[in-house]
Amino acid sequence: MRGIRKAYPGVVAVNGVDLDLYPGEIHALVGENGAGKSTLSNIAFGEVKADAGTVKASGSVGLVHQHFELVGRLRVWQNIVLGREPRKGLRIDEAAARKMVTDLAAKNGLEIDPDAFVEDLPIGVQQRVELLRELEREPTVLLLDEPTAALAPAEIDAFFATITALAKRGTAIMIVTHKLQEVIAYSHKISVMRHGELVAKLDTYSTSVDDIARAMVGGELPPVAEREPTTLAPCLTIDDVTAGTGGSRADGVTLEVQSGEIVGIAGVEGNGQTALADAIAKMIDYEGVIGLDSKPAIVPQDRHREALVMTWSIVDNAVLGRQHDPGIQKGLLLDGARARRDAEAIKERFDVRAANLDVAVKTLSGGNQQKIVVGRALIDDPKFVLAYNPTRGIDVGAAALVQSRLMQARNAGAAILLISFELDEILTLADRILVMYRGKVVGNFSRAQVDRAAIGRLMAGSAA
Amino acid sequence: MTQSVIVTLLVLTVIKAVPIIYAALGGVISERSGVINIGLEGMMVAGAFSSVVISFYLSPALGTTVGPLVGLLVGVAIGALIGWILGIAATKFKVDQIVAGIGINLICTGGAAYGLVLVFNQPGASSQVPALGGPNLPLFDLHAGAVALLAVAFVCALGLSWLIYKTPWGLRVQACGENPHAVKSAGLDPLKARLLAVTISGALAGLGGAFLSIGELNIYSDGMTAGRGFIALAAVIFGRWTPWGATGAAIFFGFFEALQYVLQGHVAWLPADAMQALPYVAALVALAGITGRVRAPAADGVPF
Amino acid sequence: MKPALRILSGPAGTLLLVVVMMSVVMIVAGSTPWAGFGALFGGALGGPHELAETLAQTTALLFPALGICLAFRAGLFNIGAEGQLLLGGLAAGALGANFTGPGWLAVPMILAAGIVGGGLWGALAGWMKSRFNANEIISTLMLNYVAISIANYLVAGPLKSPLATGAETAPLPASSWLPTLIPDTRLTIALLIAVGIAALLQFVFARTVFGYELRALGEAPEAARRNHVDINRLTWMAMGLSGAIAGLGGAAIVAGELHRFNTQLSPGYGFTAIAVALVGDLHPLWICLAAFGFGILEAGGLAMQASAGVPKDAIHLIEGIIILVLAAKRFVSTRVEVPAV
Repeated sequence: MRGIRKAYPGVVAVNGVDLDLYPGEIHALVGENGAGKSTLSNIAFGEVKADAGTVKASGSVGLVHQHFELVGRLRVWQNIVLGREPRKGLRIDEAAARKMVTDLAAKNGLEIDPDAFVEDLPIGVQQRVELLRELEREPTVLLLDEPTAALAPAEIDAFFATITALAKRGTAIMIVTHKLQEVIAYSHKISVMRHGELVAKLDTYSTSVDDIARAMVGGELPPVAEREPTTLAPCLTIDDVTAGTGGSRADGVTLEVQSGEIVGIAGVEGNGQTALADAIAKMIDYEGVIGLDSKPAIVPQDRHREALVMTWSIVDNAVLGRQHDPGIQKGLLLDGARARRDAEAIKERFDVRAANLDVAVKTLSGGNQQKIVVGRALIDDPKFVLAYNPTRGIDVGAAALVQSRLMQARNAGAAILLISFELDEILTLADRILVMYRGKVVGNFSRAQVDRAAIGRLMAGSAA
Repeated sequence: MTQSVIVTLLVLTVIKAVPIIYAALGGVISERSGVINIGLEGMMVAGAFSSVVISFYLSPALGTTVGPLVGLLVGVAIGALIGWILGIAATKFKVDQIVAGIGINLICTGGAAYGLVLVFNQPGASSQVPALGGPNLPLFDLHAGAVALLAVAFVCALGLSWLIYKTPWGLRVQACGENPHAVKSAGLDPLKARLLAVTISGALAGLGGAFLSIGELNIYSDGMTAGRGFIALAAVIFGRWTPWGATGAAIFFGFFEALQYVLQGHVAWLPADAMQALPYVAALVALAGITGRVRAPAADGVPF
Repeated sequence: MKPALRILSGPAGTLLLVVVMMSVVMIVAGSTPWAGFGALFGGALGGPHELAETLAQTTALLFPALGICLAFRAGLFNIGAEGQLLLGGLAAGALGANFTGPGWLAVPMILAAGIVGGGLWGALAGWMKSRFNANEIISTLMLNYVAISIANYLVAGPLKSPLATGAETAPLPASSWLPTLIPDTRLTIALLIAVGIAALLQFVFARTVFGYELRALGEAPEAARRNHVDINRLTWMAMGLSGAIAGLGGAAIVAGELHRFNTQLSPGYGFTAIAVALVGDLHPLWICLAAFGFGILEAGGLAMQASAGVPKDAIHLIEGIIILVLAAKRFVSTRVEVPAV
């Protein structure tokens, strides 16, 4: 790729990037959220057209997306052969299709049931299907976007074994990721992007996680607020709660969160965290007891769908979820002046970068949107906060601010339950760390006892 | 009830179900590809009206057997055209499919009302035209041409089922309705598949409308489709978006329409108006009973 | 949205589209746009009587359009305004013919009957949606047909007027007629009531908690659900209010124009009102303007047919094209939980 440039309204996503991929090499493309990595890989794949620059490949390019592009209600073989179905006259030759799939899987050392419905498969296996679908086309270049985001540690090892074997057979591989440990362990070359530009090209053997992190951020990471001593008191108790259905349910969860502490739940996505969060937020039914005196403040995991009305202004969004609170609801009316004051307060305290309070929030960056969501959750000094992936998909600066505000809330006496798929975030913020696996709480560590390796093992389902 | 009444009821059920079957099959293929087709009613009207007009104009020259046949084909073609218009609106212009469907219905019913005045110089109904002919078959009390359309309805159900579940294009359509991104990644064009699917749905609905005007009868009148295109939508849901399911649901609703004719005179305490409302009430009850237990195609109605 | 469509679906573009299409119809009918539009505007605005008729049509369209606006803003496709209007009129006619209370109470009670009749019919569809998740497009459409059956039955039977030969209710005593704004016309104070409702609706949207939650439901249903908006309650209330406003429109026609109920009450107002609501961009005050525009078409259409020989049946066709073009604007957010259509 040479001289690649791509701009969207308001932001230059990629600004003059040169990148070379060689057969047999695993090339890691790293950068913080919003650096332009996904855009660049979409351009390499051909899904997005660059405004300037050239892309040349010696064969076809495959892309395994971060959010799988599979059809859940169809079977594995149907997903894999879609568009290249073996035919028998006018109809699909199903037997030949199945054979194609099993042969392909065997060739790549993967196990798969061609007749399973994709939506019934665990995420790690679904990714296998997505991978096989791309491999079916025998690409010379294979791009992978955040491939291990939803995998358990054991699945990650298996994944990289497959990828390494693929590279050895001559495919050029690029992995877009923010998991620096994996980059160090498995890649050969590293390209670092920041604000749309390629700022560093590194050889994996001669660099370290810290070097990469510094290159990504262009300096030291912004600090998170200090942890202060607090007096603890009971606030939230969860007793033997079971919620949700199927493989991702919460199963007999017991935990408590006290005022003045942050309890972090670590775990791979899909192990019951969402069911637990929805139960606490009273969005789904549950068995067991959830004891909480006050109204929980929620920072949901999907700000676009669950927290904001994207077409509304900051002012209107500032009172979403609070529209019945005394002081905001006056009889039948909504106090517009109060909404505006609250929006102003949130903008101030959370450094929301917006032209004014009346712009539609969909015009703001992800980081600013999330700051509004967190700001709104904290504005009434809640006694209990549930924060679910509060810094997902936002830039490092916004993430640090959000984490600081959560810490400050904790210091002031709030009880905070933090659920996050990023172990680093839990380790930075939490006073106590729990691990969820297959719906159950399988580990309980205080800050002093933290053992990263043990936590990793518990997240994967092995003993500590 | 006597045996002959039961037989009449069964036969009439199937006859009354035919237009709903056609429209419902159209609804199935459209929604499976991801396009909500509220305009089925309008497409039926288009088929019903245009087939009458063509038979009116061409029968003098081509004779009363060929004329209506050409009318039938044109009815299907016009239905397909209306379907294509909805498809373009949905795929190229990415409009709100529900609003577009409402617009299409009004265009077709308004257009037919206008057309009546233009062609027949009278509002409300056309003059009588040559209809699908052939000897009058005793069991059905219909001309052979109409009975042929009845059989074709089931052939279409069979064909659509085969198309969706066994062919490459059908697999593409299924994928389009669930996750068009997956289709795009596979190097195919989901918009083209959707356009073709909606066009086919228009053709089927047009055929159903033509059955009403020149199959069962020999005339077009304002409001003759009587909401069958909407009942067909309920049949699609009730039939879980499958061709045979929708056909079965259509027959279920056809039963209630047939009941009116059979019960008249036999059941004095049930007013005629109540019986006329039966098919609609049946659709309501079916809708209330089934939704929540069924899943629409995931990308249904979502522009790509 | 494609640029051409963006222009067309704006107010100027829509107006242009209507003018062009009407001209085509006029030419096809053997007339000229000059003669055709002359007859149209003459028939609609030529004198006080003509203007009164136009405003009467405006009123008849404005009520259901406002009801539809409320529902659409909540993300609910209420296509059943026609049936709600009909049953509102039926209730009003039935009450009016048999009302035995004090004279000054007659008009309010008749209008209230319209509100209740239409409101119940709308709430029924709303209940089906919130309780069974029954798609409201299909249910409101089905309920239209059921409403027609109910009206036909009652008006030919139990509620039939002893005085008339046709199927209609007994005529309302003159004391319960709505006062006219221009004497000897069909224009009554109903127009003022309708405009008042438009202003009230706008206020509700902008300043009340109910309006806030309703808009949230329409624009971000999942966010609404998770932010203390009672979706079930809001759904049947919105549908009920929507039907109530349409029903009030039916009552206004009964009490103001016809002075009795018969099933020919509405030449499709409930469907034209959908076009009115969309042309008005789902904004109550613009809808008033749009209703006036369509009122001109409806009132002037008869004159256009009589003196220039241009069939008025083309008007529904033109309305359909307008709706199709306006579909390019995303009025109602695509529901996150895809309704089972």
